[in-house]
Amino acid sequence: MESTIPTQAPFAPRELSRLAALLRYEILDTADEGDFDDITQLVARFCDTPIALISLVDEHRQWFKSRLGLEARETPRRISFCTYTIEGEGIFEVPDASQDPRFADNPLVTGEPTIRFYAGIPLTSPDGFNLGTLCVIDRRPRQLTAEQRDTLERLGRQVTRLFEERLQKHRHAEQAALQQALLDSAASAVLVIRPDGRISSINTAAEHLLGYSEQMLVGHSLAATLFSQEALARRAAMLSSERGTQIEAGFDVLTAPLQDGQRTMREWRLLHRNGSEVPVLLNISAIHDEFELLRGYIVSAYDLAHQENLQLQLQQIAAQVPGMLFQFCWRPNQQSSFPYLSEGVEAIYGLSGAQIATSIGPIYSAVYPDDRAPLLASIREAASSLSPWHFEHRINHPRKGLIWVEARATPLRQPDGSVLWHGLVTDITERKAEQLELDKQQEMNRRLLEALSEAVIACDAEGNLTLFNNTARLWHGLDACKLPPECWPEHYDLCQADGHTPLPWEQTPLVRALHGEHVRNAEIAIRLDGVARHVAANADPLFGSDGQQNGAVVVMHDITERKRIEKLQREFVSTVSHELRTPLTSITASLTLVCSGTMGAVPEYLQELLDIANQNSGRLRALIDDLLDIDKLYAGKMHFSMAVQLLQPLLEQALRSNQAYAGRYCLGIQLSECPELLVRVDARRLQQVLSNLLSNAAKFSPANERIELWAEPARDGRVRVSVRDRGPGIAESFRGRIFQKFAQADSSDTRQRGGTGLGLAISKELIEQMDGTIGFDSTPGQGACFWFELPTYGRGHAKDEART
Amino acid sequence: MTELRRILHVEDDPSIQAVARVALEAIGGYDVLSCSSGAEALANVEQFAPQFILLDVMMPGMGGPETLAKLHERIDLKDIPVAFMTAKVQPGEIELLRDLGAREVIIKPFDPMRLASQIRVIWEASRQ
Repeated sequence: MESTIPTQAPFAPRELSRLAALLRYEILDTADEGDFDDITQLVARFCDTPIALISLVDEHRQWFKSRLGLEARETPRRISFCTYTIEGEGIFEVPDASQDPRFADNPLVTGEPTIRFYAGIPLTSPDGFNLGTLCVIDRRPRQLTAEQRDTLERLGRQVTRLFEERLQKHRHAEQAALQQALLDSAASAVLVIRPDGRISSINTAAEHLLGYSEQMLVGHSLAATLFSQEALARRAAMLSSERGTQIEAGFDVLTAPLQDGQRTMREWRLLHRNGSEVPVLLNISAIHDEFELLRGYIVSAYDLAHQENLQLQLQQIAAQVPGMLFQFCWRPNQQSSFPYLSEGVEAIYGLSGAQIATSIGPIYSAVYPDDRAPLLASIREAASSLSPWHFEHRINHPRKGLIWVEARATPLRQPDGSVLWHGLVTDITERKAEQLELDKQQEMNRRLLEALSEAVIACDAEGNLTLFNNTARLWHGLDACKLPPECWPEHYDLCQADGHTPLPWEQTPLVRALHGEHVRNAEIAIRLDGVARHVAANADPLFGSDGQQNGAVVVMHDITERKRIEKLQREFVSTVSHELRTPLTSITASLTLVCSGTMGAVPEYLQELLDIANQNSGRLRALIDDLLDIDKLYAGKMHFSMAVQLLQPLLEQALRSNQAYAGRYCLGIQLSECPELLVRVDARRLQQVLSNLLSNAAKFSPANERIELWAEPARDGRVRVSVRDRGPGIAESFRGRIFQKFAQADSSDTRQRGGTGLGLAISKELIEQMDGTIGFDSTPGQGACFWFELPTYGRGHAKDEART
Repeated sequence: MTELRRILHVEDDPSIQAVARVALEAIGGYDVLSCSSGAEALANVEQFAPQFILLDVMMPGMGGPETLAKLHERIDLKDIPVAFMTAKVQPGEIELLRDLGAREVIIKPFDPMRLASQIRVIWEASRQ
């Protein structure tokens, strides 16, 4: 039914502010509340209306906080009556809505609830906004009496008061809940104290800390219950003297500092329910309401026990660390300090923490004077580059004397521009002393090496030269160079022992030692300016502490002199023998010619003398020959023409050669059996041996005896050739020396028998160099049997060999 | 076969020179020209025209081998056997001396009684 209903009810001025004020009450769309229903009941009865409403008008609707006689909870604002009420002041009355052009077409009039009579009073907030109405409605037209109007007004005021009250209650409850939540969630223990010092509430943390439940403490005096009275008294006394006023030993002790506007944080020991002390850091702040009135105090207690434990732990750990742990705060151009110093400060600086609490001056003074400037410089440098700091310096310790310390620290730049260092200082005096000792020893070793007349060269596992002493430099005419071992012989001009053939690099003694060999007396030559220096090298591998080879070292002795002497010695004998032979040739030749009668008959009176001369020159020649032989043999320079041949013909030859000589002394030589065996010998030299043995046997043989010569198989496939005589045998004193040079020289009776004294020595060398052995058996008084053994060879080995 | 008559002997030691000469002349019946040095030998070799040359090895100044080399230049030694005489017998030296063209190396001290026959043996061997 379209009519002249205004589409929008007229809006009150300041509508937005009004709406805000309404919302402030947080009352829209809330549940029914008894207090408000009481009012609607009252006003309906008093005004004798079937309907009474407490309505609140917001932007779009009117909403009923309390309704009596009406089903609807709300109606649209444009058809509401109350919207008019709130525009004005005082009661808005409509005696007959159907007659009122404003409402005649209103659906609430034309339809349910068929309103005829309306009377409402605005509900005005304290700040002057009409939030809604308290109204009464009837279905018949009528009017309110004066009393009814008055009642309506009064009850309207009550509704407003209820709004306020309700709001306050909610706010309170909210605050309380918030407070409680805050308190409970606080890690610290929080106690809320009334102005008179009694506890009004505590949080869960406080309950745990103090061992009380909230109920136990509420209403009790904070100071009396949780504090030690002596502590309070002491503090009270101090405060009293500080302030010049008497402070009582009670709650005032805690609150007094607040009066100066100070926030106080103090350490206290609270009393646990079980009587033990709980160390806490206490903070008290006052609560003022909006009128600056003191409402109470908040006391928060930070549990220091945990902190104390941590501190103790830190101390204990720090005590284990040898040295001083520290935290150092460095401020450029300002006072630096040590926020933390472990007890090691005594061991390092001989100071106590207290001495350094205010200034780091004592530490600086403890540092050895010469090291102070470098110390500061290094700190500055590390601070500016924020790099880890490491510095060794000396300290004049009051108890220990001069000590060496090593300081290390890592920096952390702080927001305020300072640098916080975390570090450790350790006493390294012992280590330093060892280091110095080691350095001294190394220096001494180095000098020794330099002073040696031997060349010492060492290298590491890769062949890089690590030591090249003075003598080495002298001999090579070079310094150590970075070259691989393959280049050494060429660069350092190394030759083989002959002084000119280049040395293959693998044969360099140092290289051999590098490959694990222990080299002894390797002869090489070092050439410098065309001259070869002969050296004998001993080289060994070097091992590290892990047992692995980590290099090699060679020591070389100059053997040039030795070699020169050896050469002279070698040549001496041949030189001398040559010199001796030359005149001897003439002597023997002349005598031979004369004695032979070639130059004519020799007068008898001269014969004997000439014979003597001849014989002796012959002896001299034999001696020189023997000397030369033995020298050659010992030098290993005798030339042997070895050939595998039958033994028997050799023995027969010997027999023939020496028979005449033997016949001069005895009945001669008898050759007994000889097996058909092959030996490998130089025939000429074997004859020399046999002649020696046979002539010796002849010299000692009794005239009526024979000399026996025979051969027989011996052990290990050898053959033994023996020469036996029936002479006096070998004397006991002789037995050990018989094969030595000139062994018979002492023995007077043998001197007559001629011989050079070298025969057996030569025979021994000859036999041994032909792979044989020589020996004798003799019983004094029963002759002697000289033998030698040679290896035999299978048939068909008739090869000629030459062995030098 | 041509007979051996003239022998040139080069030896610096007078004693050995004398002994050798006796050994060769008295026993061997040869004509011997004794020279005390290689130079002297070179000076006389063409005129003497030896059929055999006996050379000492160790001589001051020009040694035996050098003398031999110089003799080669002076005369044709094709048909003239040369023997060295030496007391120094290092291994290999004998080979060396033979390599120089000597037919034989006679070791000192030599046997004066046999020297002549030693020479003859060498002479006869060279004729073949």
